[in-house]
Amino acid sequence: MSKQKVYIIPCSGIGKVFGSIGRESAYIVVNELKKEKSALECLPLIVKGKKKVIDTLKLNKVIAIDGCPLKCSYNNLMENVGKVDAKFMTTDIVKENRDLRPESSIMPIGEHTKKLAKKLAEKVAQKVDDLLKPNEEGELE
Amino acid sequence: MRKKVGIIACSGEELLGGTLSRAAARIVVEKLRSQETIILCAPLFAAGGLERHGGQEERNFAKEHPTITIEGCEEECAKIAVDKYSGPPAATIYIQKYIDAHPELKSISRESLGEEGMKLAEIIAEDIAKKVDELFIRK
Ligand code: SF4
Ligand code: SF4
Repeated sequence: MSKQKVYIIPCSGIGKVFGSIGRESAYIVVNELKKEKSALECLPLIVKGKKKVIDTLKLNKVIAIDGCPLKCSYNNLMENVGKVDAKFMTTDIVKENRDLRPESSIMPIGEHTKKLAKKLAEKVAQKVDDLLKPNEEGELE
Repeated sequence: MRKKVGIIACSGEELLGGTLSRAAARIVVEKLRSQETIILCAPLFAAGGLERHGGQEERNFAKEHPTITIEGCEEECAKIAVDKYSGPPAATIYIQKYIDAHPELKSISRESLGEEGMKLAEIIAEDIAKKVDELFIRK
């Protein structure tokens, strides 16, 4: 069996900067911090019920990142894939870093927003390692 | 109440088209038609059981107001979700059509569109703004 990956699914938040923090952090994880171990998928495609994507997610690990209490990523993943292996809220990283008040600008995102995304990405990256640990060990001969 | 048009970009995270859809939507609601439009998060429209968690307000808004969906690829995620829960959108914009029509404007990546990608997003946004105007005239 090919090695498991961790799929990072940020909510598709577009109205406020909290969605942008999630998306940006997901890009940092899959492009920089955990390139080989993680991947992205479009949340709306999962919501639509695309079978191929849902089957892949079932066979791999899934992390939801949400931008507000409506938790679109978490709720839609639970509904369509039936599991979430870990979940994050971008509002938590904002609360933990009161000195980095995110700018309201979404396009482009501001410097504080970028820093918050980096901090969240580091946490998510750590979780990627945690989720894959038993599996990797199991595959060692 | 003043009429508003709901803009729903698929906003797909995995594909460049999703990023263009998001950028175009933001240009419309922030710059071109800020008084006439409102932006709605796409995933709120779908998934049974969302009533339990919220999102009904957005669905109702889309039932009572005209909507324009913006699709990053042929999967039509935004259109299908809106159609299912709030009725058919008044118009649908396909990003691929613009990518094909403007090969000279190359976006850098899904993470960052770059100058040319943003130019393309502006062209798309201009068309969406025209559609918004048409919807206002029609009423
Ligand atoms: S969780 Fe909140 S910010 Fe994210 S897509 Fe849903 S409504 Fe939008
Ligand atoms: S329409 Fe395409 S780009 Fe947009 S969310 Fe769906 S799969 Fe992703």
